[in-house]
Amino acid sequence: MTNPVTKDRRHFEDLAIGEVIDLGRTTVSKQMIISFAREFDPFPFHLDEEAAKASLLGGLASSGWQTGALSLKMLVDSFLSTIASCGGLGFRDLKWKTPVMVGDTIGGTVTIAELRRSGSHPQWGIVTLDFDVRNQKDKPVLTMRLANLVECRNAEALA
Amino acid sequence: MTRWFEDITLNEAFPLGDHTFSAEEIIRFATLYDPQYFHTDPELAKHSHFGGLIASGWHTVSVGHRKMVDALFAEEERLRGLGQEPGVSGPSPGVNAMDFKAPVRPGDTVTYTLTVTDKRPSNSIPGWGLLFNQITAVNQRGELVYESHLVGFSKLRDYVMPLRLRLLLAITKVPVLSKLIRRAS
Repeated sequence: MTNPVTKDRRHFEDLAIGEVIDLGRTTVSKQMIISFAREFDPFPFHLDEEAAKASLLGGLASSGWQTGALSLKMLVDSFLSTIASCGGLGFRDLKWKTPVMVGDTIGGTVTIAELRRSGSHPQWGIVTLDFDVRNQKDKPVLTMRLANLVECRNAEALA
Repeated sequence: MTRWFEDITLNEAFPLGDHTFSAEEIIRFATLYDPQYFHTDPELAKHSHFGGLIASGWHTVSVGHRKMVDALFAEEERLRGLGQEPGVSGPSPGVNAMDFKAPVRPGDTVTYTLTVTDKRPSNSIPGWGLLFNQITAVNQRGELVYESHLVGFSKLRDYVMPLRLRLLLAITKVPVLSKLIRRAS
């Protein structure tokens, strides 16, 4: 059965190892940081500038989960919404390398590291993606390896 | 956990409470952070293999983080109530593994549990320890929603700065010497 939402998008067979995706850029405002922190990470160092200055972070910084979520948003806009994505499986080795401070602009690249067909579900493949997110000073902000399911165009041609 | 690093017991399940996900909040989170059609559009989501709207994995994980933060604050209150000084937790360096196992649909109730599986003093930041935390999320049918292995910082109560480091810190307070040190390193 063809999925009308994804039928014209790139499928698993159309992806290649080594393909580099440009994530574009996102500038992180004080309002974004506080709004996410209030709902999901209400530590004083994500909510209050004075408390943040006294913390290990040295100033108001986004929650690491928000940095990850913003990296994901950039991947959805630049890549996942253009392929027949079937959802994420998870990730490995997420590292928060430099805090994202108010006014910082983050961007970077994602590289296709691995492609393999699912053993149990012939209609799916798994794409493994390496994130290299950096700030405006080209300092590494976040790295991780994410796994995502992708529909195969040809479910029968199992390798 | 806002106990002192030294007081944290390993392999003890610490309940973090639960959360019921509404369609409205699933769509609101996904619109900002994970705008794929099965997270944002209940009609289009019917065409996906999920058969309907599901929460972004990052959403269920972010709620799990909130549950942990709330539990830390509650523990802090409890210790203060007992007349004790609570410990201090710091930012996290990363996540070793995160596995999404079952989708979360509108109306699902997810229960979160924290277990500290290991701990050691930090090599890079004197006076702080590293905690290896496992968080599991289970839905109302008992299905595992996700399992994660995270690393967190926790301040050491019994830490005494070595004389060598105290001297180094004192030297950096003298402007001329601090300039020399910076140039040398």
